Amino acid sequence: MSGEALLRFAAVCQRYEDGSRGLEECSLSIRPGSRNALLGPNGAGKTTLLLHGVGLLRPARGQVEFQGRPLDYGRAGLRQLRQRVGLVFQNPERQLLSASVYEDISFGPLNLGLPEAQVRQRVEAALGAVGLADCRERAVHQLSFGQKKRVCIAGVLAMEPELLLLDEPLAGLDGPMRREFEALLEQLAGQGITILLSTHDVDFAYRWADDLHLLAEGRCLASFPARELPRQQALLAAAGQALPAVLGLHRRLADLGLLPDEPPRSLDALLAALDGAAPDLKRNPA
Amino acid sequence: MLIDRCAHASPWRRISPAAKGLFALAALLGAYLAPSPGLALGLALGLVLLTLAGARVPLPDYLGAAAPALGFLALGCASLLFSLGGPGGLAPRFLPEALDPAARLGARSLAALAALLFLVLSTPLPHLIALLRQLRCPEVLLDLMVLCYRMLFVFATVFRDGRTAQAARLGHAGARRSLRSLGLLAAGLLPQVWLRALELHQAALLRLGDGPLRFLAPSFPRARQELAWAAAGSLGLLLGLGVLA
Repeated sequence: MSGEALLRFAAVCQRYEDGSRGLEECSLSIRPGSRNALLGPNGAGKTTLLLHGVGLLRPARGQVEFQGRPLDYGRAGLRQLRQRVGLVFQNPERQLLSASVYEDISFGPLNLGLPEAQVRQRVEAALGAVGLADCRERAVHQLSFGQKKRVCIAGVLAMEPELLLLDEPLAGLDGPMRREFEALLEQLAGQGITILLSTHDVDFAYRWADDLHLLAEGRCLASFPARELPRQQALLAAAGQALPAVLGLHRRLADLGLLPDEPPRSLDALLAALDGAAPDLKRNPA
Repeated sequence: MLIDRCAHASPWRRISPAAKGLFALAALLGAYLAPSPGLALGLALGLVLLTLAGARVPLPDYLGAAAPALGFLALGCASLLFSLGGPGGLAPRFLPEALDPAARLGARSLAALAALLFLVLSTPLPHLIALLRQLRCPEVLLDLMVLCYRMLFVFATVFRDGRTAQAARLGHAGARRSLRSLGLLAAGLLPQVWLRALELHQAALLRLGDGPLRFLAPSFPRARQELAWAAAGSLGLLLGLGVLA
């Protein structure tokens, strides 16, 4: 993970007012245009790290850098930062300010000082991006949990951030909603937006992310490309994470000689590999 | 909640709130100026029909929304019509001379109520707030309205969830337990209000909202024509009342 980082945490330490630990010498870097997943147990510091990323918290020691410069915690500095970095909270009720979908999404672009026509354009584009164009007139309290999450994302997307931080975006979503959400993340990443999200879903993280960051007790234990995860099992266990199911299954199938040693990233990829091996299997069923 | 549901379901929610506001204002003025109780009642009836048939508000919902105000109105008229005390002790005494003022008051109030219900049952509150913003209502009042409206639903959900959780653990088995549980629930809500206020403040800061809460209301492409129609309707209504008087 070389090259200049878009966002960098350099030995960040922070404690909350009640004395509980926030971050402890936490260091990690986010590459521009990359898809990043933060993995760690509850209390590992994932949400705290994201709050530091938008300057809502300030390190007691260490520093947070955006594009190689330490964050400026003055009013103007934070304003500049938040034009470029957007955060979506885990609980959408925490983020929705207006009771109207259209109004809430317009809040950020209006605060950017954009003219009304441009704000309307951005709101429409954001509604389209999250698949809520039909809900523009609805009240947010009439929406499902998943739709509220989408409104939150649209509200941030309408500000056209370079870096999108998402706190456990898949939490509380059912199967179909998760799939829709993953498609949305794919689409955003395709637009060149750098994404950093926290999750407990190691299968999803392995399947989706370019880079994984393992957190435990406020520290970043390791950062590595997701494809290296099969070789990082000890670190994964130290961060309280199970091995992705697809890796266990692949190991068994590879041991049986049914699949090559190169592990797939998802069940779909594994099934495709099995399909590819099917002619061989038919010729040599034993 | 009932009013909010009706307003969001009404096909007239897409009509410019300024047009509906103008017409409701004219109807309020008509209610105030109506020279006789009969005319005021006629106006009220017309507005009720307009709301039911035009804005497609279901009758049970309409009655449900009107019931609390009608209760207050009935109490007000009764206090004009009856007197307590006097030679008969505390027994209520009918005052025939109050019949006229009570009828005028009741009929005008009904018409005014119908005018307001026409507006609020066909116009979602965010549209009304946007209208007030256009009318240069002070920002601080608008911010309070926006937040109160939003929080109303957030805390209704929190309250409902809390009450369900208490009921699942027999917290509402019996009047005494129910009272205690409600007290606990109310006490628990207070810190949540503080926390939610802090969280919303942070959320606003993250989207550069460190001043008044500014939102863009949906656009109403036919607003000018609708306003013209509403102005014509308002004028017709007031002239009609004048002619009938």
